[in-house]
Amino acid sequence: MQLYEYEAKAVLKKFGITVPEGRLTHNLPEVREAFIELNRPVVLKAQVLVGGRGKAGGIRFANTLEEAEKEASQLFKAEIKGFEVNKILIEEKLNIMKELYLSVTIDDVLGTPVLMASSTGGVDIEEIAAKVPEKIALLRPNILRGVREYETRALIKQIGLEGEVLTEVSSILWRLYNIFRAYDAEIVEINPLIITSEGKVVAADARLSIDDHALFRHPEFEASRLEHFENPLEREGQRRGVNFVDLKGNIAIMGNGAGLVMSLLDAIKMAGGQPACFLDTGGGLSEERIQNALDLLLKKADSDPDVKVIFVALWFMISPAEEAAKGLINAITKTKPRVPIIGVIQGIGADQAVKILENAGIRCYPTVKEGIKAAVEIR
Amino acid sequence: MAILVNKNTRVIVQGITGRLGARQTKMMLEYGTKIVAGVTPGKGGETVFGIPVYDSVQEALKEQEADASVIYVPARFMKDAAFEAIEAGIKFMAIITDWVPVHDALEIKALANSLGTRYIGPNSPGITVPGEIKLGMIHSVMPGNIGIVSRSGTLTAEISNLLTNAGFGQSTVLGVGGDPIVGLRFKDVLGLFEKDDQTKAIVIIGEIGGTMEEEAAEYIKEHVSKPIVAFIAGQAAPPEKKMGHAGAIIRGGRGTAASKINALKQAGVRIANTPWELPSILKECLRS
Repeated sequence: MQLYEYEAKAVLKKFGITVPEGRLTHNLPEVREAFIELNRPVVLKAQVLVGGRGKAGGIRFANTLEEAEKEASQLFKAEIKGFEVNKILIEEKLNIMKELYLSVTIDDVLGTPVLMASSTGGVDIEEIAAKVPEKIALLRPNILRGVREYETRALIKQIGLEGEVLTEVSSILWRLYNIFRAYDAEIVEINPLIITSEGKVVAADARLSIDDHALFRHPEFEASRLEHFENPLEREGQRRGVNFVDLKGNIAIMGNGAGLVMSLLDAIKMAGGQPACFLDTGGGLSEERIQNALDLLLKKADSDPDVKVIFVALWFMISPAEEAAKGLINAITKTKPRVPIIGVIQGIGADQAVKILENAGIRCYPTVKEGIKAAVEIR
Repeated sequence: MAILVNKNTRVIVQGITGRLGARQTKMMLEYGTKIVAGVTPGKGGETVFGIPVYDSVQEALKEQEADASVIYVPARFMKDAAFEAIEAGIKFMAIITDWVPVHDALEIKALANSLGTRYIGPNSPGITVPGEIKLGMIHSVMPGNIGIVSRSGTLTAEISNLLTNAGFGQSTVLGVGGDPIVGLRFKDVLGLFEKDDQTKAIVIIGEIGGTMEEEAAEYIKEHVSKPIVAFIAGQAAPPEKKMGHAGAIIRGGRGTAASKINALKQAGVRIANTPWELPSILKECLRS
């Protein structure tokens, strides 16, 4: 779960890292109030969860109240990479002397945390890594031991800082590691970390992404988790406990298991079809879960005229297929499907389940290959 | 022979009294797996399908000899269960549990590395040596000489079944886990298959996200002489979206199917575009 910038900055602030003076606004009167309170040149930052926000026009500047109102009213009407802007963070404009990069994330190859610092901030770290890898200093601590503050000083020294700034920036990196651990972060990043002409060190932009699997340890975010899904069907999928990714195409696809469903998308595309969505039911194929999953696809088909067929492939490795078959039938009894449904049921108890489904009008095929062939022929 | 486990492996089941744990224990016993004990804190003294249950791994190991543990403990208690098994001296773990926090997975990895415990998972479907032993849920039944290593669960079942139907039995079938941080990685398993006399060819089932396939490709160039066929799921997946598995995401241009397929091709690995192409490609590989 990626937090909005303003949420990430609130966490940084809690850990003693300086962030720009700012206000979160939802409408023009709030923008006006914020500008009057700040009473200095400001930056207006659209709060959307997409990368490359600046290039897409999501960051504006204003020196006067009139400018701030004008930029804000444009931003509230704008779409940033397809997302509407409902919140704008208004912050004091900083006088930049130097931009740095700091982050703590996970090295999935070595299976350790990794602390990163670079003297080149403000641009994509992948870009720096590709062009000037020597400008990035890295530390991969043993997670069971953690990081000592002196180790972050050695790291920051490597990127060429000295004196008071050295201790200040390394202290920020050490705090970032503490945030990483305390919040079960996948990544916590400050880019850029700004040294102002007045000599202050300020986190101008921040990113914090919390591991979805660890949200039970962070109830304060669990409540707002669904709000972070901007596509309504994807949000509904999360609410129902299934993984739904909305796409544009003619075949709505569901199955149990990420690899299986991805392989269905690929094969359908190769056979000339276009996947309309990805739905992974996950494990524990209860009647209710399967009903909820198919019901979501029926909703997708009802709201999207491009969808011509629903394709369901389930592999029963643990529990018998019959219970899940009941779930499928419950769903189509409740909502009459607008489009045909094709099923491929394999594993424990598949034969009985296929009988039940065929009786209810769901065409079943013995293999995925044959099922896909039939699905792409429906226009 | 097979890799990691075989018919003589003595197994404990952690989380044996839970719904999934109990159900799976029954199926593993029916398959022929030598389960010697179960562990669920607070349920010591009970039995599950005749298997004695203990409060801790240590207590179980005092009374029963065991080499491996298969773990079904719910995600929020998983780290402790794995720590317990590692520190009690278990040498191989199959962690089936899904939705384990990634920081817990990092801690498990660090402890397992320092004490020399090998494991697959979290979010693994398990490991099966057809005809000998099943830890987890992969129901492969035909012994043979194809080794399968996968990041997926049900897709592994699908592909094992396709191979069986085409007459290709398997030496060992295992899933390393669909999470970003797992124990054994593809390259580790490939090393084991290379040394295994029974395995004549290897099938890799990869997917988008991370760089495990690219890493495997580098390893193959230097260390693997046996023929390999790979299927990579997720060519049609959009970027920046988690595709079901926590590890299956294309981020910042990293982890695409194209990158994995190219790397594997350069290492001499044959690529199947669909799962059902695998048997015919395998046939060609084994003929030459």
